[in-house]
Amino acid sequence: MLVRDAFKTATRSLTHGKMRSILTMLGIVIGIASVIILMSIGQSAQDLIIGQVQSIGSNLIIVVPGAPSGSGFSAPASAQGIVITSLQQKDIDALAREPAIDLAVPEVRGQAEVVYGNTNKTESYTGSTADFFTVSNLAKVSEGQTFSKGDVDSGNHVVVIGPDLAQTLFGPNVDPINKIIRVKDVSFRIVGVLAKSGTGAFGVDIGNIIVMPITVAQKQLLGITYFNVIVVQANASYDVNFVKSRISFILQQNHGITDSAKVDFTIQTQADILSILGSITSVLTLFLAAIASISLIVGGIGIMNIMLVSVTERTREIGLRKAVGATNGDILQQFLIESVMLTFAGGVIGIAFGAVVVGAVYFGINAFNPALGWTFAFPLSSVVLGLIVSGVAGIAFGIYPARQAGKKNPIDALRYE
Amino acid sequence: MIDVRDLKKEYTDEETPTRALRGVTFTINKGEFVSIMGPSGSGKSTLLQILSFLDRPTGGSYTFQNKGIEEMTDQELAHTRNKDMGFVFQSFNLLSRLTVYDNVEIPLLYSDILPAKRRTLIEEAVRSVGLEEKLHTEAGKLSGGQKQRVAIARALVTDPNVIFADEPTGNLDSESGLQIMEILASLHAKGRTVLLVTHETQTAEFADRVIRMKDGRVESDTMITERVSRGPLK
Repeated sequence: MLVRDAFKTATRSLTHGKMRSILTMLGIVIGIASVIILMSIGQSAQDLIIGQVQSIGSNLIIVVPGAPSGSGFSAPASAQGIVITSLQQKDIDALAREPAIDLAVPEVRGQAEVVYGNTNKTESYTGSTADFFTVSNLAKVSEGQTFSKGDVDSGNHVVVIGPDLAQTLFGPNVDPINKIIRVKDVSFRIVGVLAKSGTGAFGVDIGNIIVMPITVAQKQLLGITYFNVIVVQANASYDVNFVKSRISFILQQNHGITDSAKVDFTIQTQADILSILGSITSVLTLFLAAIASISLIVGGIGIMNIMLVSVTERTREIGLRKAVGATNGDILQQFLIESVMLTFAGGVIGIAFGAVVVGAVYFGINAFNPALGWTFAFPLSSVVLGLIVSGVAGIAFGIYPARQAGKKNPIDALRYE
Repeated sequence: MIDVRDLKKEYTDEETPTRALRGVTFTINKGEFVSIMGPSGSGKSTLLQILSFLDRPTGGSYTFQNKGIEEMTDQELAHTRNKDMGFVFQSFNLLSRLTVYDNVEIPLLYSDILPAKRRTLIEEAVRSVGLEEKLHTEAGKLSGGQKQRVAIARALVTDPNVIFADEPTGNLDSESGLQIMEILASLHAKGRTVLLVTHETQTAEFADRVIRMKDGRVESDTMITERVSRGPLK
């Protein structure tokens, strides 16, 4: 039997029972659409996260307390909530003397209730030096100014806040500059409001940010002497990996560590973070796609079920075709083509439906939160994968009914009532 | 053309063997019109199934056009069924959702005949049974007699050497039955071999020769010397 004839015969058969074909296809449509949607949204999320990491600049190096984890997939101990006090002021002083380093900026972080008048809100705050605004690319203020080195050295109770927090605390018609707010019952004078709104590097909510001198945050709010993070800005004329090795050397020396396997800090460059995040988000996307593929299996079983019913219903037709010269292979081919046509058509519709949903998510997110920077990702690989998977599903779930059809005895088939 | 020697067929169902054919021997020459008659359970349908390559015997020999069935693969049997045999069934076995044209085309789908030549062959076959005006009518919308004529056109479209007809008038009224038998007789008149299975004497007598079966054996094998009057079949 010519393949052209087989396709013609299959098309006739499928169009004869249009409603049944459409309902049978539905499982595959949902399965493929789910896989496409999750892969595309996963890709958009990955782009967003990677974009945020890239926004910190390729010459920034992050030092966190605690030994590096064995694999790239788990966070250092400090990020898992374990208090480690290894990063101290003497480390900042030593790093500042290194010619390959432009800036070494310590940070401490906490969460507290922020109160102005009768308004209060629980927010995260960051204590750092004046250079924080330079390394975080947040030097632009809409009102006032950022705090100075003098404010840090003197322990002045001043803060810079994000525009959304200013709006929440003061409303649209009140100038926040020089207003006094209370953070964890400690009074601070607002000296600046940041211009930028939205989400910054590592998902920092710039709109609601609170930045204060590190000296005040350590002594008055947290009661600690160590740092949570040191952000190092490498000198542009040095290779980042060289600077990373210099930081490691300096900190080991400072901490009296002779065995490099026993370091009490973790150094991560942008490339390190991108690599880890890329792996995590890829695994997460695959995991979601794997969950979605369960619906594909359910759809495939539906196809198999309907094909088996169809084989039974068309037993006499099979008998007739065999009587007039069809071989087992001809019958198998005919039913397999019907199954593949069903799943492939389902796959195409699923991809189109997936594209519509991904587009709707893109427009929805950007309408709700335009500053997030959510991108429209519809990877070609997911389209190709969708088409291949739908074709393979047709073969995988169609082969059994097709073999059953091919094996039918023509005499029994012709007698079938 | 058809030569069977001591042909046997035994079925084993739940350990009880059923001997449907117990040693059948005869020869059918090219161009003969042969009726196989017999009561229910005589083995006539089993014989037709083996002669038409739908089944294999369990004993004896069957030679079709000088080739033994035992030498042939299932693929070769299917190819021979398509090329050299035409089938007419009691229950027509048309695909009711397809048109007359599409039904008659079915054997050609499994042949070596190129699609470009098919239209002419189909139109010729449909014309030969007088249904050219119904070419694009759905088979399900035809009368019983018309359906059986379509089935004959389908049997003829590959220009086979033998037509196997299994109770072709069994589901028809007497008028339509007569028309069908006249078509088969005209095919025989044009030199085609026709093998008919029937339990109706009047239908059987359209043939030149009647083989009577009983209990899986040939009871009699006689030539018809006197033609029946061609009135409606009773």
